[in-house]
Amino acid sequence: MQEKIIFKKEIPKLVKELTKEYILYAPKNVKGNIEYKRVNDGKDIELEFLNSKVPPKEIVFPRMETMFTYTRNGKNIEIQKSKKVEDKNIIFGIRPCDAHSFVLLEQFFNFGEFKDDLFLNKRKNTILMGIGCNTPRNTCFCTSLEGHPFKKDDMDIFMVDLDDRYVVTPISDTGKEIIKRLSWLVDAKEEDLEKAIELSKKAESMISTTLEIQDSYDFLDSEFSDPIWKEISETCMGCGSCSFLCPTCTCFDVIDEEDQYNNRGRRMRIWDTCQFCLYSLHTSGHNPRDSSIERCRNRILHKFSYYPTNYNLIGCVGCGRCIQLCPVNNDLRVILRKLNEIQKKEEKTIVA
Amino acid sequence: MNEVITEKAQKEDWEPKIIAFLCNWCSYAGADLAGVSRIQYPSNIRIVRVPCSGRLNPFFIIRSLVDGWDGVLVSGCHPGDCHYISGNLVARRRFAILNDLLEFFGIEPGRVNFMWASAAEGERFAVLVRKTTEIVKKLGPNEKFKKQW
Amino acid sequence: MVDIKNENQKIEEKMRNVARDLLKEKKVDLIIGYSEGTLPLASAPVFIRDEQEVDKLVWNNSCYVNLAKYLIPNIRENINGELVDLKVGIISKGCVARSIIHLLVEHQINKENIIIIGINCNGILNRRRIEKEIGAHEITETELSGDHLIVKGNKFEKKFKFNDYMNELCKHCEIRAPPISDSLKDNIVGECQEVDSLEDPFEDIVDFEKKSADEKWAFMNEVLKDCTRCYACREACPLCYCNLCFVDQNLPTWFGKTSEISDILIFHMVRGLHLAGRCVECGACSSVCPMGIDLSLINRKINKVVKDRFDFVSGLSLEKLSPMMTYKMNDKQEFMLEEN
Repeated sequence: MQEKIIFKKEIPKLVKELTKEYILYAPKNVKGNIEYKRVNDGKDIELEFLNSKVPPKEIVFPRMETMFTYTRNGKNIEIQKSKKVEDKNIIFGIRPCDAHSFVLLEQFFNFGEFKDDLFLNKRKNTILMGIGCNTPRNTCFCTSLEGHPFKKDDMDIFMVDLDDRYVVTPISDTGKEIIKRLSWLVDAKEEDLEKAIELSKKAESMISTTLEIQDSYDFLDSEFSDPIWKEISETCMGCGSCSFLCPTCTCFDVIDEEDQYNNRGRRMRIWDTCQFCLYSLHTSGHNPRDSSIERCRNRILHKFSYYPTNYNLIGCVGCGRCIQLCPVNNDLRVILRKLNEIQKKEEKTIVA
Repeated sequence: MNEVITEKAQKEDWEPKIIAFLCNWCSYAGADLAGVSRIQYPSNIRIVRVPCSGRLNPFFIIRSLVDGWDGVLVSGCHPGDCHYISGNLVARRRFAILNDLLEFFGIEPGRVNFMWASAAEGERFAVLVRKTTEIVKKLGPNEKFKKQW
Repeated sequence: MVDIKNENQKIEEKMRNVARDLLKEKKVDLIIGYSEGTLPLASAPVFIRDEQEVDKLVWNNSCYVNLAKYLIPNIRENINGELVDLKVGIISKGCVARSIIHLLVEHQINKENIIIIGINCNGILNRRRIEKEIGAHEITETELSGDHLIVKGNKFEKKFKFNDYMNELCKHCEIRAPPISDSLKDNIVGECQEVDSLEDPFEDIVDFEKKSADEKWAFMNEVLKDCTRCYACREACPLCYCNLCFVDQNLPTWFGKTSEISDILIFHMVRGLHLAGRCVECGACSSVCPMGIDLSLINRKINKVVKDRFDFVSGLSLEKLSPMMTYKMNDKQEFMLEEN
């Protein structure tokens, strides 16, 4: 299907049309932070942005989600399952790395016989309408993870920013249908397409970090108690910034809240992270990941060893959020380089 | 906004529920004395007996507000009379800070009240409970910490 | 007028020399300091055990982490199953030294094990605020020039007045020189910028207190609602050393862990409560917040209450007990109910 053009001044019109049928989430400037929030007016959308601070996973995997509620009536307990959400969502302006993170999230929530209905239902009803990254940040390293600032495979509709207009390419069937319905869109000209390709190349060249990530799996398995982990985790304070704001982190905690004065309660799930001491604490009081060494190791291993083993995909999309937001500047790129270095040394000794 | 609530509350005959933490050695006995002496005080308070006002963790007070109590009353021995010598003096410092901080976060002054009453002051206990009830009644229901279910 | 850039370089050089000497003479096993960050406006804490590595140490106005945080976990080392006391040297700006004093008052560390390398501080930049103001651009380079910070990036350059873009707490900080310091001949390196003594340092707090309860509540809701509950503020605080924090206690569960606004407010309220008479105004909690929430309002309110009621400023004296550890017969009790 042919690419279309939408002018930036037409965005409010687009929003108006899409919000008739869908709930639209778009980047919004909330007190200086870019976040994907529900938008009803095209003027609220922040089109000039690098990437959001809170990843868009929040829309399909919220910080806090009620699984069911119950009411108590004497000895009887009645459970009300949370209603199946049939709202259709569109995430406008999602970046390619975050769109890829949705693939990773699906792997986790749809693994084997364990299906997470809450997540999968929301995911099924969510359409990704992404924009390529014209100016990747200096912490971005998606190209090292088979990603690309203009990767469109994971989206339904892909757009390229050409200053005053977007080139719109429908990718999936749903995307094609939506574009078909927007009959007022004009066809893209040859020169626009050429410009888009040019921008894509330019963006790729702007990514300065290259990491060899593929090779590190073996090392991560065999050298579980290498002193390098202590070096890496030494300054870690154990806050959850890196994992809470990671687009691929999926851990959650299930908690029960009871409102005993009104005879009711609810079970909910909230974000959790392996960086907290409570995360792996057993009822007996034993904690297998007692110090930051084990916790930091778990975070890295989970993304670069367990994910590849279980799902054949690397659990990182290279968005660079953890690098930007770490309070002690514990840089993931530096960590990976250190690990690669050690691995090379290992290999040499084996050969010798 | 409070006035709206109060109006509505008065219409519907709303009565506040107040949780009272009373020290075992003084105020609890004071409340008892008030009862024995047939001094009437409002039935809005529900009493929790604690070994000393110093036993009160500020958590108890905040948690009470979260749980939806409209008011909190804490009563201990007069300074110098503590059964454990200094429990109420330590508690006083804690309460001072807690009170200021609650106010700073926008909890109406008067939601949480502190008082001293000895075992011999049944009359004083009744008067202060009456006063507390009046204050809390005026403030209306405690809805700030209400969760969205 | 102090040339901050120049002063930073002087401090850095002296600091490295001192650290090198300490390591060479085996007076310390470990030096905790700051090193260059991988991002502009960032710094990374660093542990130095070898005199060869001393040149990693830096000092600039982005050294926002309070290094005293690392003392308790690193002051002892497990060598072959035996706990051995280490000698630790620590680079201390004013507030780090104050935290150390307070940790000493609370008997968490031993003075014999610590060598304080005191340095003068001219205030720490508020990284998140600068980033927010730059918005949709990438900062690639920053430079101090006179009393301005020049921020450069892809096709833009912006000037920020240093004194306006400091941490809120640094703006009000009057104790920039460390109150104690061990390890320099002239004791403390560097020169502090003259601080204008404010007539009422808590003016904005007093203004805020005048608002109505509902206004205050609405304001706090607005400020704190972005909190993701990552607890970076707690982890960065040198005085939050509890083994099990109250939010983590689940036998019984005191307060909810959800991101519902009432739970968030309670967390920050109780965090403030626990810092009463202890907060040393280092601003680490605000600096590390990934969402850029400014917690200084709560911290300063607490400090104001402690100052007004108990006439106490934390982290200045080794002899004075912190107000929540003690009591007086004649403490003010105007908030107590009375019959008339």
